[in-house]
Amino acid sequence: MTVPRWLHATFAVSLVLVIGMIGVAMMQESARPVTFEQRLVPALGVVDRCEGCHDAESHPGNALVLHPVERFGCTPCHGGQGLATTKQAAHERSPDWERPLYTPAEREAACGTCHLGQFVEGAPILSRGRAALADRSCAGCHEIPGYSLPDFPPQLDGLAAKVTPGWVRAWLRDPAALNSVHRMPTFTLSDEKREALVAFLFGVPGAALVPVEPGGDAERGRRAVSERRCATCHKIGERGGTTATDLGWAGAKLSPAWLYSYLLDTHRIRPLTRMPGFQLPPAEAADIVAFAAEQWVPDTAKPVWAADESPVHPELTDAGRTVFLESGCAGCHVVTGVDRGRTSVSLSTIGSRRIGDMPAAATGPLADLPAWIALKVVQPHAFDATAGAPAVMPAFSSVEPDEALAIGVALSSLRASPPPEEYRVRPAGAALPAGETGRLVTRFRCLTCHSIGGEGGSIARVPLDGEGSRVRGDWLIGFLQRPVTIRMDQAERMPVLGISADEAARLTAWIQDGLGDPRIAAVAPPGDPERGRQRFEALGCPSCHVVAGKGTMAGPVLDTAGDRLAPDYVIALLTIGPAVVPGGRHPATTYPPADASDLAAFILSLRAPVTP
Amino acid sequence: MRALLTRIRDSIFRVGWPEDDRKALLAMRSSIILHLHAPKVRPASLRFKATWALGFVSLVLTLSLVMTGIYLMFYYIPHPDAAWRSMKDLAFVVPFGVVTRNLHRWGAHAMVALVTLHMLRVFLSGGYKAPREANWVAGVGLWVLTLALSFTGYLLPWDQLAYWAVTVGSHMVASVPLIGKPTALLLLGDRSVGEAALLRFYVLHCVVLPCVLGGLVAFHIYRVRRDGGLVTSEHAPPEEPRLVPAWPHLVYRELVVTLIVVAVLLAVSFAFNAPLEPLADPGRTPNPAKAPWYFLGIQELAHYSAFWGGVFVPGAFVAGLCLLPYVDRGEAGIGRYWPPERMFACTAFVAIGLFFLVVTIIGTFFRGPAWALMWWPY
Repeated sequence: MTVPRWLHATFAVSLVLVIGMIGVAMMQESARPVTFEQRLVPALGVVDRCEGCHDAESHPGNALVLHPVERFGCTPCHGGQGLATTKQAAHERSPDWERPLYTPAEREAACGTCHLGQFVEGAPILSRGRAALADRSCAGCHEIPGYSLPDFPPQLDGLAAKVTPGWVRAWLRDPAALNSVHRMPTFTLSDEKREALVAFLFGVPGAALVPVEPGGDAERGRRAVSERRCATCHKIGERGGTTATDLGWAGAKLSPAWLYSYLLDTHRIRPLTRMPGFQLPPAEAADIVAFAAEQWVPDTAKPVWAADESPVHPELTDAGRTVFLESGCAGCHVVTGVDRGRTSVSLSTIGSRRIGDMPAAATGPLADLPAWIALKVVQPHAFDATAGAPAVMPAFSSVEPDEALAIGVALSSLRASPPPEEYRVRPAGAALPAGETGRLVTRFRCLTCHSIGGEGGSIARVPLDGEGSRVRGDWLIGFLQRPVTIRMDQAERMPVLGISADEAARLTAWIQDGLGDPRIAAVAPPGDPERGRQRFEALGCPSCHVVAGKGTMAGPVLDTAGDRLAPDYVIALLTIGPAVVPGGRHPATTYPPADASDLAAFILSLRAPVTP
Repeated sequence: MRALLTRIRDSIFRVGWPEDDRKALLAMRSSIILHLHAPKVRPASLRFKATWALGFVSLVLTLSLVMTGIYLMFYYIPHPDAAWRSMKDLAFVVPFGVVTRNLHRWGAHAMVALVTLHMLRVFLSGGYKAPREANWVAGVGLWVLTLALSFTGYLLPWDQLAYWAVTVGSHMVASVPLIGKPTALLLLGDRSVGEAALLRFYVLHCVVLPCVLGGLVAFHIYRVRRDGGLVTSEHAPPEEPRLVPAWPHLVYRELVVTLIVVAVLLAVSFAFNAPLEPLADPGRTPNPAKAPWYFLGIQELAHYSAFWGGVFVPGAFVAGLCLLPYVDRGEAGIGRYWPPERMFACTAFVAIGLFFLVVTIIGTFFRGPAWALMWWPY
């Protein structure tokens, strides 16, 4: 018996196949680079091979100066698969890698994984989103790290003495129809539930009101509203801020006694409001009430809510209380005798969700998690078909698309496994003074507009940190009593709060002692004001600053800068640069010491004429 | 020069290509590889139909798995923080990393299938009957070992697929009455699949089970020879010699089969990448969570009844397989497939096999989220 020939043939064919395939594998393998650039950052679990193709040196901007690639790698900010060595695997989604390269929105969310606090420099969308989370009272329903239950939405005690039942009914139907600046989302309540809610709210007593003093004059009231600068926060007609409510129909909506009492002693009526305690004199308050009754009313003969006026049904009070709790009202609104609490899911790790895990939107595929959240905020019902149950969340239809995306970015920064503590940047927080000064800071609600240590409002562009080193104390005392406008390009102007000389001195002492900037310490070397004037012209300073009627108002007018600015600060601004005035818009230029001292000497020589 | 090459060749291959049986036997005596075989085999056992080469292919796959496995061990780190990243290194930086992992993965799947088919082939030809009872039981043991090796290897990539398949598998183990929970604890070293489980599975997969397998394979192959070679029908054609030398007739065929297996395995490994899913995340349960495919029949049965389907049926099946040669002692029809004399046994065995095949297919393809029946492959 011999070995059959077909066996030899099979042997030869399979031998050729095996050798051929091994040869192909060898060739493929030899085509790959032998070494790989990789960046190891054990603390972040980073193994990034991006630099095999990308050059870190060529990174635009100063992001890598602030975040050295040795300490951060690439993927913590950019996403993608750092381990990959092919473009497709590194950049794109695959079955084993669900975090492809970040979209711009996801990139800002990534900033927020390390950078805590409301303001993150260089991340405007994130910062806006974090402000919006507070402004929209998201933490009223959701647990969100860093946000407590909101306290500025109106306390609802004593509603019966403030507005009519018809107004409340119309408001619950559609807040946008009554007020162009509103924070409340639209709840879809049945007629029975709405009626019960009105009954419950109208049964809660509030603070005693003071009857309006007769003799109010609408014209004086108009002047008071203008001089007090109410429009910095309130929208009045077509103009004004959006920090506080639209006053357009306030005269028709509010009972005169409530408005009068509120203007007299704001914090007695609403202890938690963001509005400063102006403590208006009774006559001025009466003038404003008269002005409101005349001017702040709808154009129509009757307000839109007049059609809905009918008596409340006290027998529904208990049912209304249940509606109040079930609907989550108590998350935002304080009502005496009702425990506050949240009714919805925690969002503390929502940033770890992948867009692929989220219910699909009826409107089509979404780019990323921030876009998903943005849509959820504005149209909660967009996901009903795939989520299996209708959304419970009320629609925030007044949120603009870019604000919604900012909220999405801010929430996407909340990850289940945040970076290690040594990578996290926490704001210092506002250390407010104790005692009488502290009471003043609270009464005048400084932090509604200003920020200290990364806490507070953003209406005032430059934080108060370091303010004590930037301006002269004597100027500040005068300014607090009678604020003048420094930044002409800003619409919001500091309200006239009625701060007394004593109070101004007390607040100034606190700002000078507690809010200094150690960098602003250089003693100004004496310079030549005349040469400084020439340099001022030559360097193009008038393109932003006005001096003696020449220049533009892009920056502060400098005509009385010598009265206002601390000498060391002027030197520091010119030599250290705009870091000493964060949030300001001074160009990032520094000047040689000789120029700086001459310029400073010139600027400090600009003083108001002394009036005898 | 030529003489030097000839001297080197002659020092290794003392006997050339065997022109006659005498030279063939001489060659076998002089070579360790050839000497592992019986000197002479029956021509009937050389026919492809006699074995379908299933046992030998399983052996080739075992050797290939050992070799690729050793290469993978150079790069693999059995720790939850590093294991999945090892897969990434294999995919992106290790020379031949992708193809080696593919060879290992597809080889393992093929082995589960082929060992099972080998058992079916042996059953249908009555190869478990006297005097081969003990070797049949050893074969059942090897089949269970193959499943165990595949299952322990399944966890090592530490991706979602691995993590949840093994979680499901260990829940099945834990549902065995009395011994289930302690066994699961011994296997996992913890209440759930984690760091301890990964290390234990690694040691079992790379050290313990291969050693046991090696010993049992040696026993299995030795007993094939001692028990008189393969079962074949006695009705051999008269013109054939009664016995032929194993070299070249058997060994050469083995060589060809080896080359074919390697070629197919390489081709499959070039064409298809081994699956990898995202990093294991104990907080993110896939729906449905499925065991490895060869346990999906059991998972499907367990869905109906955890004890009867998940424990009793597979347990009784393995116990029945081991008892089989001591119970079914009829001698008729040995060496032929599905002979009329063994109609009942063969039909019953194939029916059981088909039943497992059907439930496995249902479990693999027709079970969607929440183990709901789907009418299209999921």
